[in-house]
Amino acid sequence: MREALERSFLGDRVTTTVFLLLLAFGTLMVRSATFGTRYAALGDRQVLYAGIALVVFALAALIPYSIWFEYGYLLYAGSVLALLVVLVAGRTIAGSRSWLYLGPIGFQPSELAKAAAALACATVIRDLPDKGLEGRQVALLWGIVGLPMVLTLIQPDFGTATTFLPMAAAVLYFARFPLARILKWGGLVLLGILLLFALGWFTFLKPYQKDRILTFLDPAHDPRGAGYQVAQARIAVGSGELWGKGLYSGTQNRMNFLPAPHTDFIFGVVGEETGFLGSMAVLGAFLLLLGRFLSTLRVARDAEGRFLVLAVFALLLYHLLVNVGMVLGLLPTTGIPLPFLSYGGSFLVSTSFLVGLAGNVRSRRYLG
Amino acid sequence: MMDRTDHPEFEAKVTFLKFATAVLFVLFGVRLFYLQVMQGATYRTLAENNYTRTIVMRSPRGIITDRNGLLLCRNRISFSLVLDTAKEGSLEKTIASMNRILGLSMTEAEVKAALKRSPVPSLAVLARDVPPDWLQKVETHPDELKMLRVETELRRDYPNGPLASHAVGYVGLLSEEEAAALQLRDPDPFIEVGKAGVEKTANAVLMGENGRRTAQVNAMGREVEDPRLRLPGVGVQKEPVPGKPVRLNLDLELQRILTEAFGEETGAAVFMNPFTGEILAWVSVPGFDPNLFSHTISAKDWQSLAEDPRHPLLNRPIQGSYPAGSTFKPFVALVGLEEGVLTPGTTFYCPGGWDYGGHTFHCWAKGGHGRVDLLTAIQNSCNVFFYHAGDRVGIERLAKWGALFGLGNRTGVDLPGEGSGILPSPAWKLSRNMGPWYPGETLPVSIGQGYLTVTPLQLLSFYATIATGGKRYQPRLLSGEPRLISSVEVSPSTLEVIREGLERVVTSGTGKACHIPGLTVCAKTGTAQVVEASAGKDTKLLDKTIRDHAWFAGFAPRENPQVAFVVLVEHGGHGGDVGARIARAGLEYLFFGKKPGQEEGPAPSAAPLEARGRAPSPAEG
Repeated sequence: MREALERSFLGDRVTTTVFLLLLAFGTLMVRSATFGTRYAALGDRQVLYAGIALVVFALAALIPYSIWFEYGYLLYAGSVLALLVVLVAGRTIAGSRSWLYLGPIGFQPSELAKAAAALACATVIRDLPDKGLEGRQVALLWGIVGLPMVLTLIQPDFGTATTFLPMAAAVLYFARFPLARILKWGGLVLLGILLLFALGWFTFLKPYQKDRILTFLDPAHDPRGAGYQVAQARIAVGSGELWGKGLYSGTQNRMNFLPAPHTDFIFGVVGEETGFLGSMAVLGAFLLLLGRFLSTLRVARDAEGRFLVLAVFALLLYHLLVNVGMVLGLLPTTGIPLPFLSYGGSFLVSTSFLVGLAGNVRSRRYLG
Repeated sequence: MMDRTDHPEFEAKVTFLKFATAVLFVLFGVRLFYLQVMQGATYRTLAENNYTRTIVMRSPRGIITDRNGLLLCRNRISFSLVLDTAKEGSLEKTIASMNRILGLSMTEAEVKAALKRSPVPSLAVLARDVPPDWLQKVETHPDELKMLRVETELRRDYPNGPLASHAVGYVGLLSEEEAAALQLRDPDPFIEVGKAGVEKTANAVLMGENGRRTAQVNAMGREVEDPRLRLPGVGVQKEPVPGKPVRLNLDLELQRILTEAFGEETGAAVFMNPFTGEILAWVSVPGFDPNLFSHTISAKDWQSLAEDPRHPLLNRPIQGSYPAGSTFKPFVALVGLEEGVLTPGTTFYCPGGWDYGGHTFHCWAKGGHGRVDLLTAIQNSCNVFFYHAGDRVGIERLAKWGALFGLGNRTGVDLPGEGSGILPSPAWKLSRNMGPWYPGETLPVSIGQGYLTVTPLQLLSFYATIATGGKRYQPRLLSGEPRLISSVEVSPSTLEVIREGLERVVTSGTGKACHIPGLTVCAKTGTAQVVEASAGKDTKLLDKTIRDHAWFAGFAPRENPQVAFVVLVEHGGHGGDVGARIARAGLEYLFFGKKPGQEEGPAPSAAPLEARGRAPSPAEG
């Protein structure tokens, strides 16, 4: 009875409801962030993307996820191929070769690869005779995640490449290692990253990347450049106060003080136009979604489904952490979008697919 | 249900993730609360400051016309390239892009110097009178040229160029001191203030007052008019008050005729209504083009003006200081008559010089004038007569009466930079630590030489006072009510004698060149010695730079005088020649409407060319 009910409601009720709310709200915010600017056409295009995302979500949520796993390797192979093609035939935008055009339709293979990699990892787990991951299997899964990550890094798109790391962490977390050991090793890896970063400072980091980090550490540094963006984002959020300035009425947004308002800094528009209440509502929606995924981890009927939800959780959490942390001035500036709110078709379709799958896993927990 | 991934640790891992997620969201919530609720008001102010700008509404400067409403100065629209350092961007990169896109070659040092000059520290005017298409060029490069904009401004335009340039003056950019003195509420790098001439004296009337409005601008500085974004208080705070027009007493046509009469000579001429002080013409030649000065004169133009040996920037009627020469003689006669040491019948013998205190004081006529009375002495400008007269009057009485007539003092004309000349006296000499006065020093003063110097305007003022019978009116370029400075008590009989002498100068004396049928001109010629040694020599043969200055000063007509005038031609030789000719051109225009080269009155345009060409020109006689 309950199964039938939930399945008739496009998978998991909560996931679907929150997804629809975020999708609608996000589209509205993109329209507000582009209204009256030379990007106004993007607001309309986002409506189209939302429509595509809705279809993809429905397919991901309704088709039994075991069927999706049948296509796991194929999707993965396709996305890796696209990543290779983009390195040769991609269009360079803002310094990185990350766009692939099929006629008039452009997309970012790296965004689609996120979903494909998560699905592929889950498919590998499905096919493993022993579901408890040991060192060798972990290495294999890391290889699956690492390949698109390295290809993305070559574009070079450092920000997007880092979004594969949460999936690698999910693999580790899923393995048969005790939490204490993961935390201990995690700490050591963090230390290693810091050392690598120190090394990178003198070797491979680009000046603009150094600038962003310096700005984060000292906002007074270069107030006209990266620091200006951070300061304007903070003013946007803060000036929203409790109730916000109202949709389409954010001065920081509408008068171009807020940098990239429809993409990376869209949460600044949320803060400015909908205030503390609106921002908290958006965060609340994400929290609801993340909590739903965590509880699904306990009830999912198989290991591959469970891993998939964990990977989606990690991916979503990472994007939230880095993007909202950036807008609120808690983390340095990185070009990582906010799921469902930032403008962009590839990422929206990719996240909708993953969230739909995660809901699918929950709604089919009794089957089997 | 359970499979092998559900190892005992997994529950703990999920619990840990729940905990970590909760911590993150609490952190975000606290941060949002801090930014939006606790600091919200502060950030709201910052956001409002971001997009409100106070925009100065410029007021046009008043126009300047002559007495007939002919334009002396107007405003024209001009485009200027302005740098706004309050805008985000790199100065260095902006200069590079600007030079590339606009084809300039400015250095960073030049730009910084322009910033330093500006009364508004963040704004600098980089180029003026730029082509209108720069407006579009700058707008189409909003990123590279974010710090630049092309502004419309009103610039001064002097359609007559150098004509009347010393009377009208010129404007320049507000200096820091002037900005402080004016206490402007709305500073603007385009504010012009008068730097010379009437532009300076009437600056307060001409200038008007800038207005102010608050505008909403986006990050690119463009105004945004969306009612959803409207703040209270946006709009006009203060309407600009336009400057008022100013009318001068000048007659532009007279000004032109006199200026042209000077030809290549340098000098000054002022025509004035003696009973009102209205200045009808204010000539100082050579002039300069005041258009060069608005707003800032280029270094090259300035140098060529400043180093010009003909001193075009010198406002000769008030800044030139010259020996009065023989034009001073009627004054000496007046003092002698009033003090009772001379009578119309007093005669002296002129053998061509006078030995006095072991020194021979020459007359300009080598052979002497023989026995001369006062009227003949004025008529023929006999030096020896006036040596005797001055000796009788004495320096103290000359100084006393000189002061009454305003000599050695500024006339108070409404132009800046007036000089006062020197009215010598024993007290004056002592105060300058030049020792006691020797009686022999009175003699050169008696013929307008020695220590005595006057400005052309002072001399004009004296002759105007003879014309009015003692009433001294303040010379005025700006129209308005006449202002009586003082009344000098001179007996009518004395005035009649002086006037008779002055009329004879023109009818049969040294000033015959100014004899105009139908007009009784009273005037005196003067030849101010530049070099002492030139006395008695034919000045025409001398080097131009040490040739005497030629004076011609007087009034007309004798009864009910309508105009007083002074003409000074530097190194012009004898005043009776060139000076009288220039004055005559002016008087013929004023009284008969005659322009040089024309017969009586303005020739009707339908008149056959042939007929006009054949007409004998009286000016040549």
